[in-house]
Amino acid sequence: MAEPTEIASLLERIQDGDREAFMTVIRLYQQKVFVMAYSILRNREDALDAVQETFLRLYQKAGLYKPGNSFQGWLLQMAKNISIDSYRKHQMKRREWETSKPLEEIPVAVEDRASDSAASDLRSAFERSVEKLANRQKMVFVMRHYNELQFNEISEAMRISVGTAKSLHFKAVQNLRKWLTPDLGI
Amino acid sequence: MNKCALNRDDWAAFLSGDLEEGRRRTMTEHLVKCPDCRAEADEMSRVLEKTEAVKAEIRQAVASVNWEALPAVIADRVLADAGKPEKAPRAGWFRAWAFPLRMKPVLAGLAAGLIVGAAAMYLALRTPGPRPGGDTGYYASGEFLDRAELEMARRNTLDYLEKSQYVLLDVFESAGEGGAAPTAFSSEQARDLLSKKKYLNAQLERFQMAKAKAICDQIEMLFLELSQISEELSAAELHKIRGFVEERQLLLKINLVRKELERGI
Repeated sequence: MAEPTEIASLLERIQDGDREAFMTVIRLYQQKVFVMAYSILRNREDALDAVQETFLRLYQKAGLYKPGNSFQGWLLQMAKNISIDSYRKHQMKRREWETSKPLEEIPVAVEDRASDSAASDLRSAFERSVEKLANRQKMVFVMRHYNELQFNEISEAMRISVGTAKSLHFKAVQNLRKWLTPDLGI
Repeated sequence: MNKCALNRDDWAAFLSGDLEEGRRRTMTEHLVKCPDCRAEADEMSRVLEKTEAVKAEIRQAVASVNWEALPAVIADRVLADAGKPEKAPRAGWFRAWAFPLRMKPVLAGLAAGLIVGAAAMYLALRTPGPRPGGDTGYYASGEFLDRAELEMARRNTLDYLEKSQYVLLDVFESAGEGGAAPTAFSSEQARDLLSKKKYLNAQLERFQMAKAKAICDQIEMLFLELSQISEELSAAELHKIRGFVEERQLLLKINLVRKELERGI
């Protein structure tokens, strides 16, 4: 991660159209942005589109960054919002497509890589349960476990306090436990 | 959660791994002697174990990207999209002279509205002069009329396809509910759509909307059968119709053509 002063200077240069400075910022944060997008979209190509969109937004809004705040938090917040928008659009398209196709023609195997194994059933039950979480709980859970962010980083990206982030995380785990207990065979 | 001495904050801190040393010891001791809390902690950790599979998938996705090349690809696309390879040029002398204060978008919109409105009023109220079309009071070019008709054809086709989809879905539902005959509503709508199709044919042909015409013809064929359906229609006949729709992937094709038309292709 870059020092705040270094970031401030890079952003200034980006505002002047400096390609090298822009590439330096992309190089520093591209993987974090990708993981954030992938955690939400769960598709490599869509996640790469979201990465590009995030850096386009950064390029356009570099002047809006407030130097006292966490740059990574600000960038990940943009990545999160872009990915959620993209996810919603894909969901809508998928719903339209699915309702337009007879049930027997929908390729159910697309998501299911090992459809007949019990482990895969449990995994999809787990993923469905994560999907079912309330938005903020889901985002905190995804950021904590898939992006492996610290709670202070989550709080910066979501603009909530660290305490709220921890509490949302706790609620998320409690809900997952409640919903998954029958599948976990406890 | 069970009603035990451990409070919510303890559990949250335990999960986030930042339970202070003293409380952690208390919690560990408590877990040893309290089966309920132990079971709860066990369930929680089993839930969290499930994230491993997703993490592995993410690691795999990360490994599949060429991170060395990506920054240049993104930078090129973004710079091309933003159209801002260099600093934006300064405003010209006319702009500086005519707009000494930066106009906000709302004001700019208002000003544009006033100018357009004034121009429209002038055109509407000015003394009418001789016009190429005689004294009709209205003149539009042939090109404009063609465009308007094409737009009408597009909209009519979209409307036809949308309504057809509803009717087909209605029939499907009927078939799914044990082979009952489609509702009188669908049969009536099918007849209504058949008469619309006659009008639509001319438009589709005129504007050579071949793809839309092909799908509309298939729907028409189906509706001809549907319009003759009586209350005594057998389940077998109904399934035959459904089979026809499925075999030709009619609903999917309708959707694709609708999307193309919506995009104005």
